[in-house]
Amino acid sequence: MGAYILRRLLTLVPTVFLITVLGFIIMELPPGDYVDRYILQQQAQGNTGIADQEAMLRVRFGLDKPAAVRFTHWLGAFARGDFGDSLAQNRPVRTIIGERLLLTFVVSFCAFLLSWGIGIPLGIYSATHQYSKGDNFLTVTAFLGLGLPDFLIALIFLVLAWRVSGDVLTGLFSSEFTTASWSWAKFQDLLRHLWIPVLAVILTGTAWVMRVMRGNLLDVLNSNYIQAARARGVPERVVVWKHGVRNALHPLVSALGQTLVWLVNGFTITSIVLDLPTIQTVYLNATLSQDIFLGGTILILIGLLVVIGTFLADILLAWLDPRIRFS
Amino acid sequence: MTVSSATVSPSSPYAILSVRQLMWRRFRRNRLAVGGVWILLGLYLVSAFAGFVAPYGVRTTHDQFALAPPHGLHFRDADGRFTLRPFVYGLESSVDRSTFRKIFTRVPEETYSVRFLGRGVEYKLWGLIETNRHLFTVEDPGVIFLLGTDRQGRDLFSRILYGSQVSLTVGLLGVLLALVLGTVIGIVAGYFGGLLDSVIQRVIEVLLSFPQIPLWLALATLVPPTWSSIRVYFGLSLVLSIVNWGGLARQVRGMVYALREEDFIRAARYTNCSLARIVLRHLLPNTLSHVLVVATLAIPQMILGETALSFLGLGIRPPMTSWGLLLSEAQHVRVVLQQTWLLIPSAFVILTIICFNFMGDGLRDAADPFSQ
Repeated sequence: MGAYILRRLLTLVPTVFLITVLGFIIMELPPGDYVDRYILQQQAQGNTGIADQEAMLRVRFGLDKPAAVRFTHWLGAFARGDFGDSLAQNRPVRTIIGERLLLTFVVSFCAFLLSWGIGIPLGIYSATHQYSKGDNFLTVTAFLGLGLPDFLIALIFLVLAWRVSGDVLTGLFSSEFTTASWSWAKFQDLLRHLWIPVLAVILTGTAWVMRVMRGNLLDVLNSNYIQAARARGVPERVVVWKHGVRNALHPLVSALGQTLVWLVNGFTITSIVLDLPTIQTVYLNATLSQDIFLGGTILILIGLLVVIGTFLADILLAWLDPRIRFS
Repeated sequence: MTVSSATVSPSSPYAILSVRQLMWRRFRRNRLAVGGVWILLGLYLVSAFAGFVAPYGVRTTHDQFALAPPHGLHFRDADGRFTLRPFVYGLESSVDRSTFRKIFTRVPEETYSVRFLGRGVEYKLWGLIETNRHLFTVEDPGVIFLLGTDRQGRDLFSRILYGSQVSLTVGLLGVLLALVLGTVIGIVAGYFGGLLDSVIQRVIEVLLSFPQIPLWLALATLVPPTWSSIRVYFGLSLVLSIVNWGGLARQVRGMVYALREEDFIRAARYTNCSLARIVLRHLLPNTLSHVLVVATLAIPQMILGETALSFLGLGIRPPMTSWGLLLSEAQHVRVVLQQTWLLIPSAFVILTIICFNFMGDGLRDAADPFSQ
C-alpha cells in the first residue's frame, strides 16, 4: 500500500506543475495587461496625465519583468501560500478567496452528499427493476437531467418559487440577514435560499451517479458468481446488497474526482445567475477584468482540488480493491 | 458478453450480415435514438431555411410592440365558427396607470388572417438567393409573434430560428476540430509511444482534470473585442475544441496502443507498408466507429458550452445571434419573473441536447454490434 501511494504521489508532481504553468499561461494570454486597462479606465475618468506614468505603474505591479521571471517569483510565493494582491481590488488574493471559501464548501458539500445519497439508491432500484415502469421513468428523467443546463434549472426554480411564495430567492441570505451574525433565524433563512442552487446543480449530478450505478450493478448482477450465489439459495436481498452493490460501488469511488469537476462546473454558472457569494462569481469577474493573480489563483486551486480529489479516490479504491494495489 | 465465432450458428444474423448491417440493425432497434435523429434532422432543416420559415428578419423591430407576450394562432372566430385559415387578433399596447407598466391587450374586433407563402421582409437564402417569400406572414397591419418579442420588439420566434444557425453548427464545428486534433495527437502518442507519449499523456491528464467551464471562460476572454461576429463564431468553436480534444485523444491513443501489437499491423510493417498507409488504411478505420461515438457525445457538451458562454456575454456577439445570446436577455431575475417567454429559447437547447444524447447512446450501442 505504501509503495502504491508513493508511486501515485510521484506521478502527481508533473501534473501539479503543469497545472500551475497552464494557469499562468491562460492568465498571461490576453492581449494587453492590467496596466493598459487601468490607464484606459483612468483616462475615461478624466485623468489625462496617467499615460506618462505607464512605466512606473508596470514596476509597481511587477509587470515589467519577462514572463518566465514573473512565473518563478509567483510560483515560489504561491507555494508559500502567498497568492499576491488582486490588481483590481487592491487586496490580498488570499483574503478575497478566504471570505468565500466557507460558503462555497458548504454549498458544494450539500450538493455532493445529496446527489450521491439520492443517486445511488435510485441507481440500485433502476438496476434491480430493469425495464420496469419505474426504471424507464428514471432513465428519461436522467436524460433530462443530463441535458438541462444548470443555470436554466436554477432560473426555472426561481420562477416557480416566486410564483408560490412571492419572494425572489437570489443570493444565500435575505437582505436583512446578509451582515447579521449567525443565529437560528439566519440559518433558517440560509436553508430557504440554499435549496435552489443545490437542487439545480444536483439534478445533473444525481442523474450521472444514478446512470453509473445502474450500469455497474447490471454488469455485476450478470456475472457468474452472482448466479452461483443464487444457485446456492442465497436470499435475493443478500445477493443484491452484499454481493452486488458492494462490488458495483468501486467505479463510483474512482469517479470521485470527476464529481468535483461537475460540482465546480455546475456552480460556476448557477452562482452567477443566482448571485451566490461563492468563489466562482469572483472568478468570472476576475477573468473579465484580467485580474491575473486572482483569476489564475482560483483556476489553479480548482485544478489542484480536482487532482487531489482524484488522488484520494485512487488511494481509497486501492484500499478497497487489492487488485489495483498489486498490478 | 461478446459472441465468439465458434458459438454462432450459421442461421443467426451474426453469420449472415456484415458488421455494418449489424450496426444499422442495432441502431434502428433503439427507438429513442431513431426518434432523436428525426427530430435533429427536422431542426437542422428548419435552421437551414430559417429566413424562409421565420415571418420576420433577424433585425426587424416593432417599436410599439417591445416585450409583447406570445399571442397565438386562432382557428375559431368570435362566433365559434371554425376557419381552416388561422388568424391572429390585433394587439394594442397601453400603460397600466397604477404600475406604469406596459400592457398588451387583444383587440377582438381586429382579426388578421395568416397568409402562406406571402411576401414579407427581404432576405438572402444561404447568402445567395434574394427573395421575400415566407412560409407564413400575416395581413397588414397585423403582427404575428408566436413566441412574443424581446426588449427591442423583435420577434422571438424568428430570432430563435436565426439563432439556431449558430447554436446548431458551432458545436459541430468545434467537434470537428477536436476530432482532427484528438485523432492526430492520439495516433502519434499511441503509435510512437516513448517519451512523447508520456508528455502528451500528462498534458491530457491536466486538461481533463480542469473543469471545462472555468477553462472556457478564461479562453473566451481571449477573443478580442474588436473581432467581427463571424470571426468570433470561429474563435468560439476553436475555444470549445481546445478544451475538449483531450478525451478524444486519450481514447484514440488507447486503441492505437492496443492495435500496434496486433498481427495485421505487424504484417503491414513487415511488408514495408509506408507509415501513411498503416495509419490511413489500418489504424484509422479501426478506431473510427468508436471515435465517432465519442465525438457525437461531445456535441451536446459543446452546444451547452456555447449557450453558457453567450449567456454570460463571452460568446457570440450581436448582430449575430444564438440561443445563448437570446437567453442572456433573461439573465436578470426581474426580467425572467415578468417576461417568462424570454426563456423559450432554452426549450430548443434542451430538445437539441436530449436528441444528441439519445443519438449518441444509440450509436454507442451500435458501434459494438456483437455485445448483447
